[in-house]
Amino acid sequence: MKAVWVSAVAVLAASAVLALAQQTASPAWISAGTTGVLPAQAEFPTSTGRLGLLLSGGPVDMKGHPFFTPLGKNGRACVTCHQPAYGMSFSAEAARDLWKRTGGKDPLFAAVDGSNCPNLPQDQEKSHSLLLQRGLIRVFLPVPKNAEFTINIVSDPTGCNTSSTYGVNSPTPTVSVYRRPRMAANLKYVTGPAPRIVLKLGALADTDPATGRPVGMNFMADAREATLLTQARSAAMGHGEAEGVTDEQLQRIVEFENQVYVAQIFDGSVGSLAEPGAPATLGPAAMAAHRPGVLGDNDYDSVFLSFESWKKGGASTQEQFRASVARGADIFMFRQFWLRDVTHINSIGLGNPLKRTCATCHNHQMTGQDLSAGFVDLGTTNYPRWTEPPLYSDARDLPVFKITCKPDAQPHPYLGRVIYTSDPGRALISGRCADVGSIVMQQFRGLSARAPYFSNGSAKNLRELVDYYDRRFDMKLSETEKQDLINFLGVL
Amino acid sequence: MRIKVLAVLLLAQTAAAQQLSFVTCPVVRDTKTVPCFLAEYEGETYYLAVQQDISADQYPPQLLHEVLVEGTVDKGPRVCGGIPLKPVKLSVLPEVNQACNTILPAEPGIEAPPTRRPAGPSTRQPGAPAAPPPAPPVRPTPPFSEREWKVLYDFDSAFLFSKDTRTVNQAADYAIAAKAKRIEIVAHRGATLLSNGKIFVEGEKIAAQRADRVAALLKGLGADPTSVNVRVVSAPPQPDGKNDPESRLVSIRVSP
Repeated sequence: MKAVWVSAVAVLAASAVLALAQQTASPAWISAGTTGVLPAQAEFPTSTGRLGLLLSGGPVDMKGHPFFTPLGKNGRACVTCHQPAYGMSFSAEAARDLWKRTGGKDPLFAAVDGSNCPNLPQDQEKSHSLLLQRGLIRVFLPVPKNAEFTINIVSDPTGCNTSSTYGVNSPTPTVSVYRRPRMAANLKYVTGPAPRIVLKLGALADTDPATGRPVGMNFMADAREATLLTQARSAAMGHGEAEGVTDEQLQRIVEFENQVYVAQIFDGSVGSLAEPGAPATLGPAAMAAHRPGVLGDNDYDSVFLSFESWKKGGASTQEQFRASVARGADIFMFRQFWLRDVTHINSIGLGNPLKRTCATCHNHQMTGQDLSAGFVDLGTTNYPRWTEPPLYSDARDLPVFKITCKPDAQPHPYLGRVIYTSDPGRALISGRCADVGSIVMQQFRGLSARAPYFSNGSAKNLRELVDYYDRRFDMKLSETEKQDLINFLGVL
Repeated sequence: MRIKVLAVLLLAQTAAAQQLSFVTCPVVRDTKTVPCFLAEYEGETYYLAVQQDISADQYPPQLLHEVLVEGTVDKGPRVCGGIPLKPVKLSVLPEVNQACNTILPAEPGIEAPPTRRPAGPSTRQPGAPAAPPPAPPVRPTPPFSEREWKVLYDFDSAFLFSKDTRTVNQAADYAIAAKAKRIEIVAHRGATLLSNGKIFVEGEKIAAQRADRVAALLKGLGADPTSVNVRVVSAPPQPDGKNDPESRLVSIRVSP
């Protein structure tokens, strides 16, 4: 295994790598328990070019390393869901390829959460449809004791929420939702110092249980874990079904995660993205070098810095593509639209609607996350703006829950007291009605390596992602503008 | 002549003091810069607020919600096509109202007042603050005496906006520095006399919710939990149509 993937990455010329990308979706999948050395710099084929990986601490020997070694009984390691070749996440296409290559035996497909529900026949592809089609992992959580709402199951295509063993009325009542694994890279931007008071909550930030310091609440879909360390422990025990994990193992996992930087490094239309004169935001070395915690919602030190050098265009395909990327960067920063009905943006004193741009919410320099705790209800999981089919006659593959707010609760600011949702998001942690559908936004880096997008994997590609925003905010983007945005996002 | 001047003065005084309290849907008026928020009441258009950012003193209302407007009619020129209210307190009412959904397009001659921030990204120069610089935090120093802070709320809301959390933070800093023996939180439930004569009373549990949030924040910021005492005043006061926004209150009294 070691020889296969290291040679594929480090030795192949660019054209050969791209050719490889067309032949197979997953030339560099690292199985749990793999031995060998993960080099300090590597490149992996993506749908549009190559993803760059940089380990700021140097090469890592994977043999026995707890990030790469199964810690529990199901054979999974952290790397199972956080693959270097896929932006430290994985793509649905890679999961499908893995199913074919392993006959569904890889630990990624573990019954606990790599299938739609553990009680389904695990050898059947359809039992893993959400993972294979959307890249989703089952997340099962209890309804908070302090919940301001009741929850009812409206439809349950996976059968898990109505299961007498795993459902909301089981002996250990849990709600099953399905989410994409987050990228475990560029984490200094995600876990940086945080203010004590969260603007969006009007209350204290969660704190690191070890130090008591406030945390950014920005690296999980529902911000349920305070630190990388608590997340690693929870993931090992939950996703990995470990019976225990040592402090040393946890420290080594976190130490590794904190040195991983990824970003697109080569684009088939542009060429190298990290050469002299290229926009300073591009490539994993830029991610490693840049300072975290910078607010980029301004016109002098923007979220993804300057693409001015690519604006001039020219006759060549490369120059025209670069100009398109630069236009996309300008649309992201400056194209105004009515930003409306977004919980934790419009509802925190900014007014509804707000005439702003993408950069208002996606404001953290280099990543495009929110510098504040990043959970917002964009609408991807809540009816009627969700990404699911609108009609009963259209088959849905995600569960639908009916959330009814208690009379004394503050209602959801834009959906009121009865909300239909496929994922209550932050509300399953906070218990607040107003948080239903609020989900922490994700980094914009390495996108070409890890489709599909949104927490529910509903945008199969960047076109569908851009189309969602265009519809959601009535942006009236032209076809050229959409393509410019797609090209821009694809090189990040 | 004297009488006439007196009459004009009285008239002006009366007009200047005209208080209005009403509940309505806000209306958004686009402009070539940032949008304005307006309200229609008894056939007249009032200017409520303009889009700013989180550092603003006055937050705009929200579509999909009615707004409680409590303000004094200002005799100055119209702003964004509406009569200004100064001062004005705007409360976004919590329940969703789908009927509140009007955005008017920009029209020639209707302009938003100047704002610190345009509609797009911030345009301030590097190093320059987005807003007038806040007063530098003053570390409380002895001698310490009894002090009180007040947090005023939107109607039927316990949410602590950015400016409110700063107030609670000041109280916590003072209590910590003074090693306060007693921190008394008194939370009130408010009521408003509307201009149509109706009385608008907040929800029964709102005072308790306000108290809980302020107490949690104070303790979380380091105030001695054993010194914190909470009193909830759930009986609403008799509203007068003038000072009603001040009835939606939490006071924090710190005694060394």
